[in-house]
Amino acid sequence: MHTKRIYLCDNSIDGIFTAIYIAWSSRLGHSNIKIEEKSEGSNYSNLELFSDYVPVDTDYDLSMKVSESIRKKISEEAFEMVCRVALSDYVGKADLIYRFLILGFAMGNQILQHLSNITVNTVFKINRNVNFEVHHLLGFIRFSEQANGLLTSVIHPKNNVLSLVTPHFVDRLPQEGFIICDGNRKLASIHVPGSQWIIAEVPELNLEMGRDISFMEDEYQDLWKAFFDHIAIQERVNPKLQRNNLPLRFRGDMTEFQ
Amino acid sequence: MVIQESMSLQRKLEILSDAAKYDVACTSSGVDRKGNSSGMGNSLACGICHTFSADGRCISLLKILFTNECIFDCKYCINRSSNDVVRASFTPQEVSELTMEFYRRNYIEGLFLSSGILVSPNHTMELILETVRLLREVHQFNGYIHCKAIPGADPVLVEMLGWYTDRMSVNLELPTAESLKELAPHKNRKNILKPIRQIQLGRQNHREYIGLTDHQMLPKQIASNKPDKQDLEMNEVLSMSSGIVPYTKKPKIKRSFVPAGLSTQMIIGATKETDYQIMSVAEALYDNFDLKRVFYSAFMNVNQDNRLPSTEAGPPLLREHRLYQADWLLRFYGFQTMELLDEQHPNFNVLLDPKCDWALRHLEMFPVEINKADYYTLLRVPGIGTNSAQRIIMARKSAVLDFQDLKRMGIVLKRAVYFITCNGKMMYPINIEENFITRQLVALKDQIPLGIDKDITYQQLSLFDDVNFKIPYSGTSMVANI
Repeated sequence: MHTKRIYLCDNSIDGIFTAIYIAWSSRLGHSNIKIEEKSEGSNYSNLELFSDYVPVDTDYDLSMKVSESIRKKISEEAFEMVCRVALSDYVGKADLIYRFLILGFAMGNQILQHLSNITVNTVFKINRNVNFEVHHLLGFIRFSEQANGLLTSVIHPKNNVLSLVTPHFVDRLPQEGFIICDGNRKLASIHVPGSQWIIAEVPELNLEMGRDISFMEDEYQDLWKAFFDHIAIQERVNPKLQRNNLPLRFRGDMTEFQ
Repeated sequence: MVIQESMSLQRKLEILSDAAKYDVACTSSGVDRKGNSSGMGNSLACGICHTFSADGRCISLLKILFTNECIFDCKYCINRSSNDVVRASFTPQEVSELTMEFYRRNYIEGLFLSSGILVSPNHTMELILETVRLLREVHQFNGYIHCKAIPGADPVLVEMLGWYTDRMSVNLELPTAESLKELAPHKNRKNILKPIRQIQLGRQNHREYIGLTDHQMLPKQIASNKPDKQDLEMNEVLSMSSGIVPYTKKPKIKRSFVPAGLSTQMIIGATKETDYQIMSVAEALYDNFDLKRVFYSAFMNVNQDNRLPSTEAGPPLLREHRLYQADWLLRFYGFQTMELLDEQHPNFNVLLDPKCDWALRHLEMFPVEINKADYYTLLRVPGIGTNSAQRIIMARKSAVLDFQDLKRMGIVLKRAVYFITCNGKMMYPINIEENFITRQLVALKDQIPLGIDKDITYQQLSLFDDVNFKIPYSGTSMVANI
């Protein structure tokens, strides 16, 4: 009986890439290997029988090596797709990426065309799903102005999209200081005019920080709500369609639904 | 008329967004522009929806009227001069500040400014121009702006506005000149078409000036231009030379002339035009006037005017939906109006979307082999859209596709299955026979989309004696005794 080796890695792009590097160089044979990302939910309760669990410490140098070979041997586009999959909430993404790369390093840049392959197809779908959420949030994020002029926003996305969403607002609001908080992950992206934006862990995330709002903030929120209510045509009211286009899970963070 | 000077900004916003809600051309797409470090804002060509109102429509722009005072008396318009409604006007400062503050909070993608006619077309256009100038030059706003060109305004003002905005629209209001005469006595077709032509020429000139070739959309290359446009006024305006732009002094800021293009809208179901007439007009606008979008707006009798059709059954939303579907076929699928409708079948099928309807009348062209057919042939298969067709073309480079593969690739087969083969085989042994396929397609639930089925009465009937059902509203929409 074969013993399977399961590499357990951090739930991050670097963690997954490190595990892929180590798995690859172990030369155990791809079918004897699995990579699992640590997730808060699973808590080791589903250990597989006849398997060795090997924890992997994230190593940025190894991770960089994997990134570089994906870009060189497959394509920049494939690299971006893989990164978005790594940011998704798909359980089993680490192993999926591993399988995708096995194919990719064999096929080269044609891998992305191979949509009839289950692995490629799954990567394609997850990638699209992440892109959809990013696109939704570009519109659905709401900023409120604090007394000191800072713009703040709290979101609760399914996927870990802060790093994909923030550049859009940096380009859009170059002269504004803003913070976008991911309430699910206790992460925040921070932009200060005239310098680089960063993502920081905020374990003590204060979701009440939106309370110290500026003098005019209430007024503009009311104006926005008034506009939102009056722009709907009563004869065409269609909550189903509205829900289809704007899923309920976004509404908790949106001014006009509060 | 009482104008309340002391009206609060909130009250004005309520009145003037209420008055603008029937306008449909509210998209923020068509232009990609990076932000600049000195100002605020950028735009994405794909457009961004910022929220969805209770009627399910996308809100991407602050859509308001500058004023709902109007010297015109169009029968279908809530703001017509003979109506007794509360009137309000913004100031250019108010609109520009509101836009900036909403934009900062990411409520909106930009401004959509329309207006009633205050004092005169020129006076109104000057106010709009001043608003947009404040936004671009004082507030350094770099986001999306869409403005109405007011018919009858001086071409100089239209030209100036074109340098500040991303998209302009000139509303056709009604599909034909006769309807316009009946329902909008102060407007005339030529006055509407003139600025459309002017903006088209302005865009062409600018593209030539900066050395861009004209990236026209696909259908124009496929569809041959038909010379027999029945609309005389359209032809007359088309023949106007490019000498129409008399004034080309640009504003100081570096921008393109109406980069996101021109759009227009027509009210559907207020007058007696058939779908065929409406689509012919739309096609002529796409082919000859370089329009980016034509919007169709299901008529609602907001004035309860007896010269207008009653809308007890609700607005003709299904008809509007079918027109948008057909419009899509013109713009992205290489169809022509003549293929979809003709004098004998002047209206769209209520039960089937235009592409299914077309396919059933052309069964001799099916089934189509998924592994061989070219892009435009794939696009003609019901159920296969531009995304699916592109995915098929991509995927079959590395593998021979079967039905399982198509499913996995997210291609919806419930309609397509009657029209395609994979490797020469159909998914089920299907007899390609009109009655059978029609019956199957009509049974699909999503033929009538979400929430717009109020105005259809389902009946038990033998469907296949006559596939072209009478459209229920065509009988009631006669415009009587003006």
